[in-house]
Amino acid sequence: MPSITYRRVDGTSATVVVDEGTSIMRAALQNDVAGIVGECGGQAMCATCHVYVPEGVELPEVSDDEDEMLECTTSDRLDNSRLGCQLLAGRDFDELTVDLPESQV
Amino acid sequence: MTATCPFFAGSATAVAEPEYTPYEAPAPLPGTYIADWVTLEDLTRDPFPTFAKLRQEHPVPYVPAAGRYFVTRYEDVHTVDNDPDTFTANERGSLMKKSMGHSMLRMDDPNHAVQRATYGNVLKPKAIKASWRQVFEESYERYAAVLREVGPGVEFVHHFAGPYAAENLRRVMGFENATDQDMIRWSQTMINGTGNYADDPDVWAEAKRSYDEVNTALDEMIAHYWEHPNETLISNIIHTSNGDEVTLANIRANLKMSIGGGINEPRDAITTIMMGLFGEPEQRAAVLDGTRTWKEAFEEGVRWIAPIGMYPRQTTREVELGGTVLPAGAKLGVVALSANRDESVFANADRYDLGREKQPHLAFGGGVHFCAGAWLARSQVADVALPRLFAEFPGLRLDPEQQAVETGWVFRGMTHMPITWDA
Repeated sequence: MPSITYRRVDGTSATVVVDEGTSIMRAALQNDVAGIVGECGGQAMCATCHVYVPEGVELPEVSDDEDEMLECTTSDRLDNSRLGCQLLAGRDFDELTVDLPESQV
Repeated sequence: MTATCPFFAGSATAVAEPEYTPYEAPAPLPGTYIADWVTLEDLTRDPFPTFAKLRQEHPVPYVPAAGRYFVTRYEDVHTVDNDPDTFTANERGSLMKKSMGHSMLRMDDPNHAVQRATYGNVLKPKAIKASWRQVFEESYERYAAVLREVGPGVEFVHHFAGPYAAENLRRVMGFENATDQDMIRWSQTMINGTGNYADDPDVWAEAKRSYDEVNTALDEMIAHYWEHPNETLISNIIHTSNGDEVTLANIRANLKMSIGGGINEPRDAITTIMMGLFGEPEQRAAVLDGTRTWKEAFEEGVRWIAPIGMYPRQTTREVELGGTVLPAGAKLGVVALSANRDESVFANADRYDLGREKQPHLAFGGGVHFCAGAWLARSQVADVALPRLFAEFPGLRLDPEQQAVETGWVFRGMTHMPITWDA
C-alpha cells in the first residue's frame, strides 16, 4: 500500500500507510498527523493543507484552482509548494515524503 | 450556449416547492446527562458561562430547551465536521428547508458537491481581486458617508455594518433589481423562519413573502443574465449548469441560503472585531502601526465570537461522542461559539488576543461545508471596512453616552452599537 512521510520544521516526522485514492491532506487527518489542517475538506478552498514536495518527483501539474489557493498560503509559497488535498496516493505517487510548512493558519 | 435557458420558471426543470415533514427525534438514552437548567434566554444574553460549564462537566449534553444535544468541545466539533457519514447535514424536519428550500447546506456529498460546483470561482480570491474588491470600496464610501452625515453618536450596525454587508452581497450575487434593504429584509425574515421553533404563523408569513420575492427577483435576473452574462454569481450559475443535475429549485434554495448566510456574518464580524479592539488599546495600536495585520485581527475576532454560533447535524447511527451515546436520528447543535473558546486549544480563550499562539478556529465550519463566502468576508472586512474605518474616523470608539448591545447564540454579534469619533 502507498505511504506518505510528513517532515516537520522541528525535525520530527511521521509516516503513514494509506489506501489508494487517499489524499495527502486526508491521510494526515485520518492519522492525526499534526501540521495539516485541511479546513475545507479537500475542495481547494482554504489553503491549509500546504506542503512542499521534493524536487525531481513527477507529479501532476498544478491546476488553476490549486494555483489560486497556493497564492493564499500562510507560510511562503515556493516553487515546490502544493496543496495536499490535490495529490492522491496510488494515482499520483506510491511513496512520497513531504515537508510541512511552519504554519497553515 | 444552448438557445433556451434551462432555468426559466415554467421550463422543464421548474420547480417543486420545498418539502417539509415534521420530525420527532428519539428520546435520549438512559444515563444521558440532561442539561435542563440551560435556558434560551441565558444563551441569548450571554452563552459563554453556560458553554464553559458544559465543556468542563458534560461536553455533549442533551439540552431540552433547544431540543438538541450540544457539541461543545473543539475536538468533538472537528470530529462531527469531518464525518458526514455519521453526522449528516441533511437534517430531517429542518426548518431551514421549510423557510428557504433544500439548499446545499442541508445536503451531503456527492449531492452537495454538484450544487457547490455551480458557485465556481465567483467567491474566491482571484475574482475578489478582479471584481469585488472595487465593489467593497464603493460600498464603503457610500455608507461611510452615511456615518459622517448622521455624525458622532450614530448607531453603527444599522447605518453601516448591515447595509455594507448587504450591498456587497447584492452586487456579488447580481441582484440588480433589488436594494440593500431588500437583501436585509429577505435575509432576516428567512432566518427568522429557520429559527421558528415556536411555529409562529406571522413569522412564517413574513418568511414566505420574502421567499416569493426572491423567486420573482431571481427569475427576472436569470432572464437578464442569460442574454447578458457577467461576473456575478447568478450569471455564473446559469451559464455553467445544464439543468439536469441542478434545477431551478436548487438554484433558488442555494441562493436563499447565501442571502441568509452572507449578510449577518460579515456584519457581525465587523462589529465584533471593533469591540475586541476597543477593549484592547495596545492591540489596537499594534494593528494601526502595522505590528499586527488586519487579517490577524479578523481571524482572532471570529475565533473570539463566531458569528454563526451553532449549526445543526443529525446522527445516522448510534454513536458515542464526547462521552455521550447518541441514538440514531439524534439532533445535534454543533456549537462553534463554544469550540472556539475551548481552553484546551486556546489559552485565555475569553480574551481577544492577537498575540495568542496560532491555532485554526472553527468559525467557518470545517469539512465540505466550510464557508464558501470565507474569502469574501475576509476581504470586505479585513481589507476594506476595518482599515478604512479606523484610518478615516480618528479616535473611533463606543459612544459612552449610549448603551451597546451584544446578543444571540445561534448567531451572535452586536445588535446595537452607537459609536463616536473625534470629528
